[in-house]
Amino acid sequence: MDKSSSQRLPPLKRNWWLKHRFFKLYMLREATVLPLVFFTLCLLAGMVALLQGAESWQGWIAFMGSPIVLVLNLLALAASLFHAATFFVLFPRVMPLRIAGHSLPDKAIVAGQWAGVVAVALLFFWLFGRA
Amino acid sequence: MNTQQISTKQISVKRYLPDNSAESYWQQYELPVDDSTSLLDALNHIKEQLDSTLSYRWSCRMAICGSCGVMVNGIPKLGCKTFLRDYEGEIRIEPLSHFPVQRDLVVDMEIFLEHLAAVKPYLIDDNPVKPYDPQAPETYKQSPEQLARYKQFANCINCGLCYSACPQFGLNPEFLGPAALTLAHRYNLDSRDNGKKERMAELNRHEGVWSCTFVGFCSKVCPKHVDPAAAVNQGKVEAAKHTLIALFKG
Amino acid sequence: MEKLAMNKPSMGKNSTQHKQAFDEPLWWGLFSAGGVCFAVFLPAVILFIAVLLPLGLLPAEALSYERASSLLFSVPGFLFVGAVVCLPLFHAAHRLRHGMFDISVGNDSINKKLMYGGAALLSIVALGLVVAGFLG
Repeated sequence: MDKSSSQRLPPLKRNWWLKHRFFKLYMLREATVLPLVFFTLCLLAGMVALLQGAESWQGWIAFMGSPIVLVLNLLALAASLFHAATFFVLFPRVMPLRIAGHSLPDKAIVAGQWAGVVAVALLFFWLFGRA
Repeated sequence: MNTQQISTKQISVKRYLPDNSAESYWQQYELPVDDSTSLLDALNHIKEQLDSTLSYRWSCRMAICGSCGVMVNGIPKLGCKTFLRDYEGEIRIEPLSHFPVQRDLVVDMEIFLEHLAAVKPYLIDDNPVKPYDPQAPETYKQSPEQLARYKQFANCINCGLCYSACPQFGLNPEFLGPAALTLAHRYNLDSRDNGKKERMAELNRHEGVWSCTFVGFCSKVCPKHVDPAAAVNQGKVEAAKHTLIALFKG
Repeated sequence: MEKLAMNKPSMGKNSTQHKQAFDEPLWWGLFSAGGVCFAVFLPAVILFIAVLLPLGLLPAEALSYERASSLLFSVPGFLFVGAVVCLPLFHAAHRLRHGMFDISVGNDSINKKLMYGGAALLSIVALGLVVAGFLG
């Protein structure tokens, strides 16, 4: 069979995703990685500062407190939660879990993942929250 | 609710008559509707009463033949399963997106059929346990549990709505697309089938499962609730396993 | 029948049409693992390190220079960087690569090398910093 026998349309224009709410939400989901990359670069800078000594470590904390950096990282926090909300519901669809022949309800898998988020937050509170 | 209540509604249809003009244009029709009027009923009314030049595909009127797919206000829908009572105000009808238009609402689905054929969507069993004996034919046995593994993905009616919903297919028509990849997964999951290896060669290509970015709109528009996005992404897990095994076997 | 092909694939493309994508499972695996880390670990990490710490809402010793160093430059610190920096970087690289294809920016085979290459480079730097602090 000649694969190229059928007619092809030219590819979509780059603004295709602006035409529907569903596609805008998709693009928002994909864009959550932008503030993530910003936070990761901040973290890398912090690791360099920590290696350099106590003074640059304090300097890095001050840098993290500057308004623009703080706002961008708050955006990263919101992005991580939005990413979590969109990512957790995909998991049971990509890897349906079966126990003894019965598939686990999607809601249980999603709830389990949110429990993981809370558990990590509690671990951080235990590590850093107490004097 | 009184289904006999008759009112009139206006719908706009994107016309394309290549014999007359290379340009498409919008045409308005005003027609009587009640609560039971489907979009397909409306198109039939136009064809029979108002304008016999309108072209569109249809057959079964009950969401099983998959012929009457069109865009309704930019969203792919089956005409027979769409009711005008659910639309306030403007109703814009266009041919399915991402397919070349032949005439009015009729699109050329050849490329979808090519992608479908490429994944061999039928039972393949080259090494049956027993050779086929026409005197004593044996049926394949399948337990309800084995059926349950693929049943949801077997409900596809090849209507092509998922292709119109998929931006990755719109961006690259070589992408095998939601329905073909779902049918491939459906046969891969079937206990009677032995063709997984052949299909994997198609799935594990850049234009196979790996062009999907889980936009998920295909599953939203599917009139049979097949969830093609889930099938395609389960196909990624299978393709990854297949690659790992190939790597170790050399 | 004559058909008008507006965007016929070239003959060269036809010959590569059955090329197996041996690398894609790796990128997708790293993307998925990174996605889990981004969703499960990052909310707490960002909240504590990038919000509460600079606002002075953590106890003074919680992330003092000494405590932060001993926590990071250790085996658990190495694993922390893997889960909070490296895997999410590959997750981001994958989404950026596909996002660029979505909005028709650049060429996918080049974007692919740039994105995954960048993620790999930054990952090596991050893990190298932990090892340097551990040894130093």
